Amino acid sequence: MQRTLSAVLDELIPARDEEIPGAGSLGIGAFVETQLGDASSLASSGLTALDARARDRGAADFADLPTEERAPLLDEVAAQHPGFVESLFFHACMGYYQNPAVVTALGLEPRPPHPDGYELEPGDLGLLADVRKSGKLYRDV
Amino acid sequence: MSEEPVDVLIIGAGAAGAAMAWSLAETRMRIVCLEQGGWMNPAEYPTTRSDWEMDRLGAFGLSPNGRGRREDYPVNDSESPIKISNFNAVGGSTILYAAHFPRLHPSDFRVKTLDGVADDWPIDYTSLEPWYDLNARMMGVAGLAGDPAYPPKELPLPPVPLGKLGETLARGFNRLGWHWWPSDSAIATRDYEGRAACINLGPCIIGCAQGAKGSTDVTYWPVAIREGVELRTHCRVREITVDENGMASGATYIDEEGIEHQQPAEIVVVACNGVGTPRLLLNSRSDRFPDGLANSSGLVGRNLMFHPYAMVTGIFDERLEGYKGPTGCSIISQEFYETDSTRGFLRGYSFEMLRGMGPISTALFGLSSRRLPWGADHHTAYEDIWDRTAGMVVICEDLPEPENRVTLDPELTDADGIPAPKIQYRLSDNSRKMLDHAAARGIEVLESAGAKETRVEAPLPPAGWHLMGTARMGRDPASSVVDPFGRSHDVKNLFIVDGSVFVTAGGVNPTNTIQAIALYVADHMKKNLDQLFD
Repeated sequence: MQRTLSAVLDELIPARDEEIPGAGSLGIGAFVETQLGDASSLASSGLTALDARARDRGAADFADLPTEERAPLLDEVAAQHPGFVESLFFHACMGYYQNPAVVTALGLEPRPPHPDGYELEPGDLGLLADVRKSGKLYRDV
Repeated sequence: MSEEPVDVLIIGAGAAGAAMAWSLAETRMRIVCLEQGGWMNPAEYPTTRSDWEMDRLGAFGLSPNGRGRREDYPVNDSESPIKISNFNAVGGSTILYAAHFPRLHPSDFRVKTLDGVADDWPIDYTSLEPWYDLNARMMGVAGLAGDPAYPPKELPLPPVPLGKLGETLARGFNRLGWHWWPSDSAIATRDYEGRAACINLGPCIIGCAQGAKGSTDVTYWPVAIREGVELRTHCRVREITVDENGMASGATYIDEEGIEHQQPAEIVVVACNGVGTPRLLLNSRSDRFPDGLANSSGLVGRNLMFHPYAMVTGIFDERLEGYKGPTGCSIISQEFYETDSTRGFLRGYSFEMLRGMGPISTALFGLSSRRLPWGADHHTAYEDIWDRTAGMVVICEDLPEPENRVTLDPELTDADGIPAPKIQYRLSDNSRKMLDHAAARGIEVLESAGAKETRVEAPLPPAGWHLMGTARMGRDPASSVVDPFGRSHDVKNLFIVDGSVFVTAGGVNPTNTIQAIALYVADHMKKNLDQLFD
């Protein structure tokens, strides 16, 4: 099941570049499993269906299918298991976008916001020149 | 179990309770504050951890119903399109707020006279002006003098930085010739009064780990406690008690161990805000007050005002570095604040410009706006939005309507069995027209700033965080709950000082005005101490 989940996650969020593999290969599967909660049985039945269909096509399981066959099969099973892919994709995004390698690739330092924070320029308050000239905006009473 | 009597009992340690406690401390009266929440520990706020974005959906989420904290009471808001957002702790909802700190305008106190709807307040901007000034110093407000949308005001700290995102938005406003100004914010932009300066880490609304955001646990409370006010935490008031003369005699409360106490007091001050205050008064029934305490007008709980919110988000071509800086505080526009009836509605709104989102929030935005597919197109779609969003929330004035109200739920209770509040609220036609106008103007200015796409959400269901009107102020006991000095018409030693006393809502965040009212009421009490105990 974990192997199948990992292959599905690689389809949902594929390799970003040479540095960062798909979400499954990146190890996000463990996170997704802990987050599923009520959706666990939905996920299980979807993953089971994927493996069954894969075996119908002569593969050992979903992960064993040729790459170009995986996405279409996922679409097929998704249509018959409403919410299955959406649920996995939602949790995959949550896990993927806090992964340190991904965060670094986005241009952030992989650290908590506190205690370092960020440098931020004050900005050009000269941009207020026209507002200052426009005069009083509030009503008197 | 009865405690030693005190002179003043304050119920609630949030924005108003803290200001009240601090102001009254100098009288050396015996003052106790009861707060059903506890002290927060900034070292445990989510932004001290790398997975901080997850906590926004859990323990630091907006709704008391979703958080599952014992300190919060549940709210039945199923009959409202806008859901309640409040927080019980020392600091109250200031623990989570974005620290926007605008004032009301002179016209906000005279809505009936100027625009022929709602009512006039029995006080005005001039009454509150010295208290706004004092509150700015005590809370540490950052801003820029000279805003033409307001009478002149001085602020103790320089404005929050604009950064690239703020300048991009400002240029959008300038191209249209619309008003904008750096937002007044209760954020220490420099080291201030022993607090460290803001480090622009981003998400203020899940608690400020830096202590730069002005929540009352780090501003008023330390001073009030040093000056002798006793603050008892995890003490949940069940009801305010009355004596045989119909005067408030104190309160019954339940402590952390579930033991019930009586706290006798000469004066009772209620500071539980727009939902908590009417709930407490309605729960304080007696033979003398069968419809709830201080409720001869029938208005306790009525005229509930939110600020219907719209959110307009723009997607830009360039990276905006929007994850830097206080997410909710950058620039404000009051171009459409004052009434112009040719627009098809009365009263007006503020734009409060928002910065960007973290990586997970960006993904969630992509999912909810259906522009983030899975599979081969995922990364290009994400790249299109990552650090490329900026927008605004629109704060619309809400007119008071008696049928918008807080009552007691017949079944729902808090963890101590005390009846929970129920909300009935309907969005008015005026609000709907205003939201439509505001969304269109919001799109206009974001496109002027360079947004290639925009997305509108209006009204914003989770945005019931401004809670006003439910114990309104007025001169006539038949049409108000408290007098112009916050004193109950019915119960002479009972005062209310929070957002529930608002007569109208204005189109700005209420916390600054709530605290100014508390300071104003405290000042009047101090000047009339000899009559207070009659």
